[in-house]
Amino acid sequence: MKGRTLLLIAILTVVCLIYFFPIYFTAITSFKTNNEVFTHPVIFFPTQFTLSNYYVQVNVFRAVSDTAIGSIPWMIDSIVIAVIATLVSTFLIAAPAAYSLVRYVRSIWVARLILFMTMIPEAVFVVPFFIIIDKLSLLNTWWGLILVYISFSAPFSTWLLMGFFNEVPKSVEEAAQIDGLSPYQIFYRISLRLVTPGLIAAIILSFISCWNELLYALVITFSPFPGGAQTVPLFLTSFSIAEKAFNWGGLAAAGIFVMLPTIIMGIVAQRYLARGLTLGSVKG
Amino acid sequence: MSPRLVQRGQALKVGLVLASPILVYFVVFFIYPLFNLLQNAFTSAGGGFTLSNFQEMASDPILSVSLTNTAYYFFGSVGLEYSVGFVVAIILYGYTGRLKSVFRTIIFLPLMVSPVVIGLMWEMILNKDYGPLDYLLGPLGLGQANWLGDSHLAMPSLILANTWEYSPFVFLIIYAGLQTVPPHLYEAASVDGLSRTQTFRFITLPSIRPSLVVAFLLNSIGVLKGFDLIYVLTNGGPGFSTYILSFYTYVVGFSFFQPHYAAAIALLFLAIIGTFVFLMLRFTSVEEHLGLRRGKGE
Repeated sequence: MKGRTLLLIAILTVVCLIYFFPIYFTAITSFKTNNEVFTHPVIFFPTQFTLSNYYVQVNVFRAVSDTAIGSIPWMIDSIVIAVIATLVSTFLIAAPAAYSLVRYVRSIWVARLILFMTMIPEAVFVVPFFIIIDKLSLLNTWWGLILVYISFSAPFSTWLLMGFFNEVPKSVEEAAQIDGLSPYQIFYRISLRLVTPGLIAAIILSFISCWNELLYALVITFSPFPGGAQTVPLFLTSFSIAEKAFNWGGLAAAGIFVMLPTIIMGIVAQRYLARGLTLGSVKG
Repeated sequence: MSPRLVQRGQALKVGLVLASPILVYFVVFFIYPLFNLLQNAFTSAGGGFTLSNFQEMASDPILSVSLTNTAYYFFGSVGLEYSVGFVVAIILYGYTGRLKSVFRTIIFLPLMVSPVVIGLMWEMILNKDYGPLDYLLGPLGLGQANWLGDSHLAMPSLILANTWEYSPFVFLIIYAGLQTVPPHLYEAASVDGLSRTQTFRFITLPSIRPSLVVAFLLNSIGVLKGFDLIYVLTNGGPGFSTYILSFYTYVVGFSFFQPHYAAAIALLFLAIIGTFVFLMLRFTSVEEHLGLRRGKGE
């Protein structure tokens, strides 16, 4: 029995090393000097730690590529877009829709349609969405991307929250009704508070998907002029081929910058996310 | 089953008011795009009705390469991700010690990393001059492989990177399913004197069947949807060796500027995804937790 446990620990350690390796390698590369990056044999434990890759990020970002206008504006664009899209889609669209579907409309076909909408590949609607955003004169703006991202996260969060609303005991709502609350007050003051774990999952998953989204960011915010609403994935793709060849340190530092927020969120909220990632089909 | 919170007529009104924001979104960002795709797919650039966009699909060599590549990418990725995710879930399930949550968190990490960053990571790892993969494989006598630059190796490289990204997702679903196996089944099995293998075969596997199916279908859709990794790692190349359907749909629309033809391809893509969603609704219990009755809504 003891031997079996040790064997399992050994196997799992190897598995975790493999999963962790790309993150580890990116992290050490971001602290390496070019001497230690471009050398044989590959250095896995750098000795000449440097923060210069991070300094370059903050100070000389204009030099990183012709179009880059500094790392901070990209971060700001990403944060504003992801936060607004997430809050609007969760609280103004998905939560009332999910509640309505579970308690009032109760149509399985509408639910199925919502599931289908969450599965549509980004590439399918890329031309029509471009036309819509163009017609609304919102190309290259925060609002253009926000509208598009809401259209992805709203169906997803609706589907997710439906499962949570379904678990709210009806007796609680009936008691509130006897206390004289209107249906809207019951939704807002009672049921919405009771699905907090679902809201957390919806908010975090929606934020992460907005933060990471590439295709629509490419198509809708093609022009990198200041205030052009370019999000962090575009910042990463803005590295030129030459920079990709000679500036691994900067590239790795940029990658760390971009993945750190979502990794922290994921670890903190891990227990809420399993159910969300699996569309509510498992209660992990 | 309708709640007695309000009268019937009023219930519909409340329901519609609460659902009105999503209805607006539904019209603007689903009905209209769908209509736009249909309209574009069945018209020529001049505006007249035509089926030529679909005829073009039949004779388009890049589309046929893309579809072949999609099949390769699909079977390679899902096959590998599913096996790895399944095996890792079973192994972690078998371990009950204190390090459990540490292992789980580490395996969970790739899911949180932006696919664009994953692309950059693997670009470094697979680099033919200074990448660690070639270095680590060196002692095995595999020599210096040009992972991303060789048209035979580019797709396996993509599948490898995608497996790192997506196998934790399969792991997560199956592992969560394993947690729901009732312990009394195992007690009964041990009373009946079943061996470890028999218990797994006759107790564990049947119990997690729903999770296994959901994991497979969500994994399949996720792989088909994938775009970012290809855009960053190979940009479809070398040549057309890593063009897959999602990438080609984008290229036709935004590099070739052929919105009509792109619409026809998008409809094909949508039909493929629709098939998987249909299978999911038909063969899994994804909608059970919603508490809605199947068939006519009440």
